[in-house]
Amino acid sequence: MYSIGLRYCGGCNPEIDRTGLIDSLKQRFKARGIPAEFITDKETPTDLILLISGCKHGCLEQEFPSFSQDPPIISVRGEMVGDRYVQEKDIPEVLIGSITEEKNRVGGSP
Amino acid sequence: MSMMTGKEYIESLRGLNPEVYFFGQKINNVVDEPMFQPHIHTAAMTYELAHRPEYEDIMTATSHLTGEKINRFTHIHQGIDDLVKKARMMRLLGQKTGTCFQRCVGLDGLNAIYVTTYDMDQKYGTDYHERFKTWLTEVQKKDLMPSGAMTDARGDRNLRPHQQKNKDTYLHIKERLDHGIIVSGIKAHITGAINSHEILTMPTRTMGEEDGDFALSFAIPSNAKGVTFVFSRQTNDTRRLDSPLDAGNPKYGIVGGEAIIIFKDVFVPNERIFMAGEYDFTTELVETFAGYHRSNYGGCKVGLADVVVGGSYWTADAHGISKASHIIDKLTDMIAMAETCWSCTLACSYEGYQTPSGAYHINPLLANVVKLNITKMVYEWMRLAQDIAGGKIITLPSEKDLENPELGRIIEECFVGKEGFSTSDIIKMLRLIENMSVGAGLPEAMHGAGSPAAQKIMIARRSGIDRKVDLAKSVAGITEDKDFEQITGKDEKTYWQESKKKIQEKMPGSVNSSAF
Repeated sequence: MYSIGLRYCGGCNPEIDRTGLIDSLKQRFKARGIPAEFITDKETPTDLILLISGCKHGCLEQEFPSFSQDPPIISVRGEMVGDRYVQEKDIPEVLIGSITEEKNRVGGSP
Repeated sequence: MSMMTGKEYIESLRGLNPEVYFFGQKINNVVDEPMFQPHIHTAAMTYELAHRPEYEDIMTATSHLTGEKINRFTHIHQGIDDLVKKARMMRLLGQKTGTCFQRCVGLDGLNAIYVTTYDMDQKYGTDYHERFKTWLTEVQKKDLMPSGAMTDARGDRNLRPHQQKNKDTYLHIKERLDHGIIVSGIKAHITGAINSHEILTMPTRTMGEEDGDFALSFAIPSNAKGVTFVFSRQTNDTRRLDSPLDAGNPKYGIVGGEAIIIFKDVFVPNERIFMAGEYDFTTELVETFAGYHRSNYGGCKVGLADVVVGGSYWTADAHGISKASHIIDKLTDMIAMAETCWSCTLACSYEGYQTPSGAYHINPLLANVVKLNITKMVYEWMRLAQDIAGGKIITLPSEKDLENPELGRIIEECFVGKEGFSTSDIIKMLRLIENMSVGAGLPEAMHGAGSPAAQKIMIARRSGIDRKVDLAKSVAGITEDKDFEQITGKDEKTYWQESKKKIQEKMPGSVNSSAF
């Protein structure tokens, strides 16, 4: 099963609902029959890491500055995914697209 | 050409010969005009300090376009460190001049247009960003000072730009040509306009579809054909013609030497146009600029506060009252307010973020809080400066009377302080405090970078009030509190039932509420 490592920022003053976003993402994966495992344990190796920062400052990106490709990293920072502005309501769909793209890049589909 | 010194900057203005009017007269020599010189000296400070080893760490940067060392006033912020150093640069220059040093408006315009043109090109496939980078490279290489021209005359504020009876109340496109555009209109209150090499225009507000011709950004040399400047007045400005002492801050002046800029059928070539009709990006451009610019005020005005706090203490000391508890109390209040504003500016820099263009932006919510605090606190610390300085700041005789042998001796005795302080120095310091606390600097703190209402709109829009309501409902017990349930190991309803039961066992009949 495709595994997604979740990393949350501290959440001091988020402009998005970080856990609500992941709940929505999980529901959409499930509704589409896409098997995916979301893992918060930092020691467990995963196929992809999803950074969820509550605001555009993106504290988590300081921990993951190089955006390594092994595993690939997708970064949400407030209403931004990567270097794109995305409204909060649209973030789950954009993430599904980005995660699928990453998965396909290394072969197979999530 | 590499970074200019202060003197080289002043000399560079000589070749421009912009069309400037003041007091109803055409000013043919801007550089040597006594009414303009303090403002030119202040802008020159932004050049001069970049050459000092003790300041270059914050006054210079490395261009991401050329890799060359450049004056930070032409730099695009490449990280949080740049945002913080920009704030430090603002405070330093406020300390060195005691007034507005003008060049930050252009700096903020450079960054805001850099950010917005990138986003426009992503949507429309235009080449504004590349055009802008080409022009910016020239600005960096030649160390030019562009004035940031945003505020339009605006006419009837209840009408949108295209509804104005006189279209020239907003700068707009009159004609579109293959190789450029013809523009007309008026920009008002433009800081440092007459002593800038270039004019960098931006729209003053959000534009609608029908305002497309007003959704406009471009750069032109300040001596472009069809451009006329009308220099504005400042409080007590003609004292500069009377005597240096009476002027207060004779070297650096008061506020930013603002001017009206009249554009009459000015041709702008395509390569210098950075927005021409993309009305849906005017909000982004205006808000990005406003965010940068509002964040500055907790730097520059705090630099001014450092000067006026020092001047207030010195004046109290000169009169033998620096140890009085009420003086210490007032000075402490001044310092605390200034450092509060400084904290806000540092915070909005440290909380900045990377935009899609790669440039960094400050935290807009905190930047608006910076500026809103400034609109109040500058008045308060200047009020305390007046309080400490005493009534002398508005009753001092003129320098000419001081120079009169007989009157001068009497005045000398009248204004003498404690041993070790000369009357002449006391008057100099009192005039400085008068200049900084009585004059145009106060409304400049109020309205520069936008009036308080504009900051409140931005704060309200970005504060996330819905989330605050959710927080309050959770704490109040109106909505589910998962953390509380984890802590207590049971759901809230069960917890309160058990809690009530325990209290009733201890104090029968004491808990009747069924609210929880």
